[in-house]
Amino acid sequence: MLKKKICMVGQFGVGKTSLVRRFVESIFDERYLTTIGVKIDRKDVTVGSESVTLMLWDLAGEDDLAQLNVSHLRGASGYILVVDGCRAASLNKAVELQRRIAGQLGPLPFVLVLNKADLRDRWEVQDTAVAEHGWPTFETSAKAGSGVEEMFLALAGKLLQ
Amino acid sequence: MPTDGADKPLAELRAILLGPDRAAWEAMRQRLDNPTRRAEDVAGVLAEAVRLRSRGHSGSHPDIKLRRALQPLLEEALQLSVQSNPRMLADALFPIFGKAIRRAITSELDGMLQSLSQTLEQSFSWRSLQWRWESFRTGKPYAEIVVLRSLLYRVEQVFLIHRDSGLLLQHVAAPPAQATAGTPLEKDPEMVSGMLTAIQDFVRDSVSGAESENLETVRMGEIEVVLAYGPDAILAGFVRGVAPRKLSRVFQDTLDVIEQKKAEALHTFSGDTSRFDSCRPQLQACLLGQGRPEERTSGSWGARALLFGVPALLVLALIGWWIYANVIERRWTDFAHRLESEPGIVLTHAEKRGSNFYISGLRDPLAADPASLLPASLSSNQVEFHWEEYYSLVPRFAAQRQLAELKGQLQKRAFRFTTGSAEIPPEQRFLLEDVASQMISLIQAATALGKTVQIEVRGNHDPVGAEELNAALSRSRGENVRAALIALGVPAARLIAVPEDIEKETCSAVKEEERLFCRSASFRVTGVL
Repeated sequence: MLKKKICMVGQFGVGKTSLVRRFVESIFDERYLTTIGVKIDRKDVTVGSESVTLMLWDLAGEDDLAQLNVSHLRGASGYILVVDGCRAASLNKAVELQRRIAGQLGPLPFVLVLNKADLRDRWEVQDTAVAEHGWPTFETSAKAGSGVEEMFLALAGKLLQ
Repeated sequence: MPTDGADKPLAELRAILLGPDRAAWEAMRQRLDNPTRRAEDVAGVLAEAVRLRSRGHSGSHPDIKLRRALQPLLEEALQLSVQSNPRMLADALFPIFGKAIRRAITSELDGMLQSLSQTLEQSFSWRSLQWRWESFRTGKPYAEIVVLRSLLYRVEQVFLIHRDSGLLLQHVAAPPAQATAGTPLEKDPEMVSGMLTAIQDFVRDSVSGAESENLETVRMGEIEVVLAYGPDAILAGFVRGVAPRKLSRVFQDTLDVIEQKKAEALHTFSGDTSRFDSCRPQLQACLLGQGRPEERTSGSWGARALLFGVPALLVLALIGWWIYANVIERRWTDFAHRLESEPGIVLTHAEKRGSNFYISGLRDPLAADPASLLPASLSSNQVEFHWEEYYSLVPRFAAQRQLAELKGQLQKRAFRFTTGSAEIPPEQRFLLEDVASQMISLIQAATALGKTVQIEVRGNHDPVGAEELNAALSRSRGENVRAALIALGVPAARLIAVPEDIEKETCSAVKEEERLFCRSASFRVTGVL
């Protein structure tokens, strides 16, 4: 049995927690996020014949006041950058976070998630702005539940490579 | 070197052949002979020589001969150093020992505090009463019961956690029948493991900030989390009950062994936990326990009531009886004090026998009656008096006795009269002054005691003669004596002439010499006692 630690990061309010809520096992209250800055969920995926347990560290969103607690990133095998398609600033934040995490943990597999795909017509984030980074990108909708499973599978596949 | 004639050519030849080297040899000889030069030469190569020797020659194994040779020297040198300047060595060793000693002392103090607080808690609790009862019942020393019962705990789950990622490497749990099944803790050890790591990060970041400081225990109600830390792993135990101090040491020792055995696997851990399956026996050995904590809460209310209620009632009854006995005793004591302060009464002995009180002593007949002094709260049936009579020297009693004596003397006096006459005969007149002075003394003594005396002067007659005449004679005899005494200074108000019929005394003498005693005036004192 393989186990991997995955961190979920992104700007405050991009929908990290609601994105995974329906797809993971959880025993902890979401209030943990606001009190100690992290909540841990579990996601089991099977890639090919290999099953992987992803321990998801949902880190409290970063904003002007709260900084990401970098000690929570230690030992992570990969991470998920979450962006709110309706907020261009959240992409900038994701880019900045990616740079900081790569600086701290070195090159690790990660995916970019553009959330709120159900509100595609109101998106501020331009496809070109996303494409210029060349990162593996998934469009998801926490509301409709689309794209989330695929995203986990893809990330798990990258971890096993 | 020989220098005789036969060798001369040889010496010359030698000088020709070796001439240039001789100077060098001479210089060499001087160096060897001169200890200062030799010491300088050795000093130049000593360090390198020792280094070479300690590494071994040309890659061979290190030579231990040098170490053996140096050992006694070093030991002696250390001894000398300590004797001459102990401070230097102490300063050098302090950074090593200081830390270790501090740690050891802290650990010992923590243990002591834990046992002290437990002892205090147990000294005044319901549990301690149960244990004292158990000790009494089983005959075991109380301390043994405390040790047996107080350190009840059970390690229910043990987590081996990868320190950096918080991923669960191994997890063992106590048999489900005895562990508390269904708690969230058992639902997903993976998430619990991650959250424990996150909480440690959180506490470290927000409280101490120091990388080397770690949470050692976490308590949540009945569950205590005992944590041991290694460079790459954390060993966490969920303990129900009171975890003894030694448990931390057991965890730390186990973790040290695992870290040592699995150092490589831990360094290169990338998610494959199967490499740690072989650690399970060590983790299972940490599932320690003593007794069953849940047993402590057993015991019905009825049994508790019986156990606690009956002794409590007994204690209450004892307290009540004690208070009552004290009150009664106090009343008797007060009564004895009262008797002691009473004039004319001397207590020689007072004691309680069973429910009765015995008092004995001396009592002046003129003193107050002790039974009449008993307060209403004490029953006269419960007291027994034994009095010996005596005469007290209390002035009041002396005066009373003097008064009684004066009264007695006066009542013996009488005036005799001739037949048919009420006149005091001339031979009786000399008695008047004496009687008058007795009366005055009596009246004064009575006044001093606050009493008012009355002295009756009684006239009498003999049975001979007419009744009417006799009655008149009696009256006249009394009045005559009274008048004579008043004339001698006796206060008239205190003297009353009483006719004989009031007393109804009859003088029935038949002989003349007896009848003489009937023709008289005598005295009776009233109001004295």
